[in-house]
Amino acid sequence: MSPEPPPLLAVDRLVKRFGGFRALDGVSFSLKAGEVLGLVGPNGSGKTTCINTISGLYPPDGGAVRFAGERLGGLAPHRRARLGINRTFQSPRPFASLTVRQNVALAAAYGRRHGAGGTVSLAALLAMLELDHLADRRAEDLNSAQQKQLDLARALATGPRLLLVDELAAGLNPAELTRMAERLAALARDGMALLVVEHLLSFLDRLTDRVIVMNAGREIFEGTLAAATREPEVVRVFLGSDHAG
Amino acid sequence: MRDFLAVGLPVVVIFALLPLIYANQLLLFNFVLFLILAQGLNAIYGFTGYLPFGYVGFFGAGAYGFALAVMHLAAPPGLALALAGLAAIVLAMILTPLLRLSGAYFAIANLAAAQAVYQVIANPALQEITKGPYGVSLASVFAPRLSYGAALLILAGVFALVAWLRHGRFGLALQAGRDDPVSAAMAGIPVVSARIIAWLISALIAGLAGGVFAWHISVFYPETAFDLSFSIFAIVFTLFGGAATLTGPIAGVLLLYGLYNLIGISVPQYFQLIYGALIVGLVLFLPRGLASLLQRRGIDVP
Amino acid sequence: MLAHALLGGVIYGCYFALVGLGLNLVFGVMRIVNLAHGDVLMLGAYAAFFLFHLFGLSPFIAAPVVIVGFFLLGLPFYYLVVPRLALAKDAEMLSLILFFGIQQIIEALAAIAFGSSERSIPGRVLGIGPFHLLGETLSRAWVIGGAIAAAAVLALYLYLYHTRSGLLTRAVMASREEALASGIDMHRISARAFAIGLALAGLAGVFAPFMLGSVTPAMGTSVNLAAFAVIIVGSLGNPLGTVAGGLIYGVGLLLMQTYASAWADLLPNLLLIGVLLVRPTGLLGRRVRLA
Ligand SMILES: Nc1ncnc2c1ncn2[C@@H]1O[C@H](COP(=O)(O)OP(=O)(O)OP(=O)(O)O)[C@@H](O)[C@H]1O
Ligand SMILES: [Mg+2]
Repeated sequence: MSPEPPPLLAVDRLVKRFGGFRALDGVSFSLKAGEVLGLVGPNGSGKTTCINTISGLYPPDGGAVRFAGERLGGLAPHRRARLGINRTFQSPRPFASLTVRQNVALAAAYGRRHGAGGTVSLAALLAMLELDHLADRRAEDLNSAQQKQLDLARALATGPRLLLVDELAAGLNPAELTRMAERLAALARDGMALLVVEHLLSFLDRLTDRVIVMNAGREIFEGTLAAATREPEVVRVFLGSDHAG
Repeated sequence: MRDFLAVGLPVVVIFALLPLIYANQLLLFNFVLFLILAQGLNAIYGFTGYLPFGYVGFFGAGAYGFALAVMHLAAPPGLALALAGLAAIVLAMILTPLLRLSGAYFAIANLAAAQAVYQVIANPALQEITKGPYGVSLASVFAPRLSYGAALLILAGVFALVAWLRHGRFGLALQAGRDDPVSAAMAGIPVVSARIIAWLISALIAGLAGGVFAWHISVFYPETAFDLSFSIFAIVFTLFGGAATLTGPIAGVLLLYGLYNLIGISVPQYFQLIYGALIVGLVLFLPRGLASLLQRRGIDVP
Repeated sequence: MLAHALLGGVIYGCYFALVGLGLNLVFGVMRIVNLAHGDVLMLGAYAAFFLFHLFGLSPFIAAPVVIVGFFLLGLPFYYLVVPRLALAKDAEMLSLILFFGIQQIIEALAAIAFGSSERSIPGRVLGIGPFHLLGETLSRAWVIGGAIAAAAVLALYLYLYHTRSGLLTRAVMASREEALASGIDMHRISARAFAIGLALAGLAGVFAPFMLGSVTPAMGTSVNLAAFAVIIVGSLGNPLGTVAGGLIYGVGLLLMQTYASAWADLLPNLLLIGVLLVRPTGLLGRRVRLA
């Protein structure tokens, strides 16, 4: 029996409190290189909080995040970026007064993972995300779908090994959705681990069949997407919200 | 570099030549002084968004750093100028925790800090060291032409620095942190330490300005060196022209300080009235300064 | 000496609570930093001065005149400036700069109109002879200034907690978003709070000649720093926290003046910086304001 290598990301009984309220209440899961894990749940169930805690924006109040076997503890977000953890934001957060090119170039200059090398050139990255014709525009002049692409381009410019994606599909048209799904699938094929938060289940379905369902800060289901939709508790949780997908 | 050659250097050269045809050197010196201060404020406000109402604190610390070095160490002006810059940097280091505060809290705490430094230096209890409220006289090093030249050198350095901030990696990182500190961190930018560096640079500029000011006028009182007008002018000139550009603060100083000298000297209240109205108008109608008139049309203002 | 300093400190504390009260109300409701607050106070002081010297009206009459007058001026002023400001992305920071400009205008106009000489009102107009309280002898003018300030604080409390309009004001303070969503007429509430803020500053100004010494057009900045120290020590955005801030400030100031008078001026600044760094939310606050 050959020893199993440690998973790239291991989240262990993670707790995050806001005041007395537990936004994350003991969440555990793990993720291997090249794997895509979907994270679904009704509004306010703690999905974004989970991404924020893994990316280091909030210190956890309990539990641990391990990356490539190392416990991250209170490591600052910019150091996590350099380790190879990156993310997009639910509502995009570009550097508004800088150009698209500057946005991405900064991430490449400061956030590039040690050893990531010059895998993709800046120009190729912009072209891949359909931003090349906008390269010299200020980010604040982009529409929100374009800003989402920019968020992703900036995250990819750091050469991440783990990408946390927060509702990338919202606001994209069907053609854009298809291209985005293909793009993420290609990243996973090249060995990147992806945690994908998504309300749009049809989008998730194209990327993975392994999902976690969260409700009120807890994990209530782990398994295939198809099985999740048959699980009574999951159905009950989603029927209470208007985002049943 | 291009910006510096196109905009900064010509301004320095013009101010180097002006004394040949214009006799009021004190006025020219004041122009140079405000050009330095406005760019120094620009370095912190324009690039990080932190508005230091107490910017004059670093200026005063520099002026007194220079004076104390001359009085107690008999330092030559060059060394005293270096110590002036050092005094401001030390003060800025003490005040770095203020950067944890945001927006208005930072601005007000910084103002209080500047007042506190003034009250310590002007305190009669420290007369032995600072001469307290009675002011200092540095006649032994008085050299108006040399100090004017030193001011021009500082100005050239400050222009080069701001030009670098505008296009260099570090300056862009600062602007990213200003636009959105969270996503800047995710881009790998060490936002906090970058801000601290900008803060120290900005303080150093004000400290050098204060030092060269002390050298040039050679007799001054604590309320001259800590006059809140230095903060106010630097802020207004920068805002008026447009922060985070090299040209904006220059335009602000040349236009507004020029206006001030046309109408202001004899009745400063009238100028205060005008720039008060200017600020109100700017905030309500042109919050990003003159430069934004061009930027809005897609023109890149150096 | 200690008892005298403490008692005087409490009296001064009430007065300084009044000085900070309006500023804090405006910040709490509108998230606007009224940097012209100290200058409004200065205008109140000049109003009292001229009402006394030109018409022989005592500050007791000047007070209601100033309160009503400043309130009525505050309403249109609000509509002229604030709604436009609220549109901006970074309204808090812009408000700081905007009101800084307004401060400069007021200061300049005051200097042009009133000259820069120091003005005062003789203390005897508030009554003659010293005042005895708990075995200590105090200046009558102080006691009256402190008592009127305490009454004003109480009046604001009654307004906020026992009137409908006060209830709405507190709703806006608690959460602008929710208040807006529940259909409260935000601008009406805000305009009223703004005008009350100015009226309170004016009232503090009427008694400034007795509490702060002589009056000059340039007094605004130092008043502002004291007011900021008071409300930051108390708790920003929570008007009643101002009282705690005022008392700490007043007692601290009198203790400093009694035992370390050379350094007494440093107090507001050190207090302000110290509290901001150690507890940026104010001693009673809970809102975190870190960058
Ligand atoms: N910074 C914060 N301070 C206080 N409460 C917070 C904070 N961030 C999130 N919360 C609360 O934590 C809970 C989980 O929020 P989170 O944003 O993680 O939900 P989500 O699953 O991403 O929801 P959505 O689908 O709407 O994006 C919510 O109740 C939210 O109000
Ligand atoms: Mg979310």
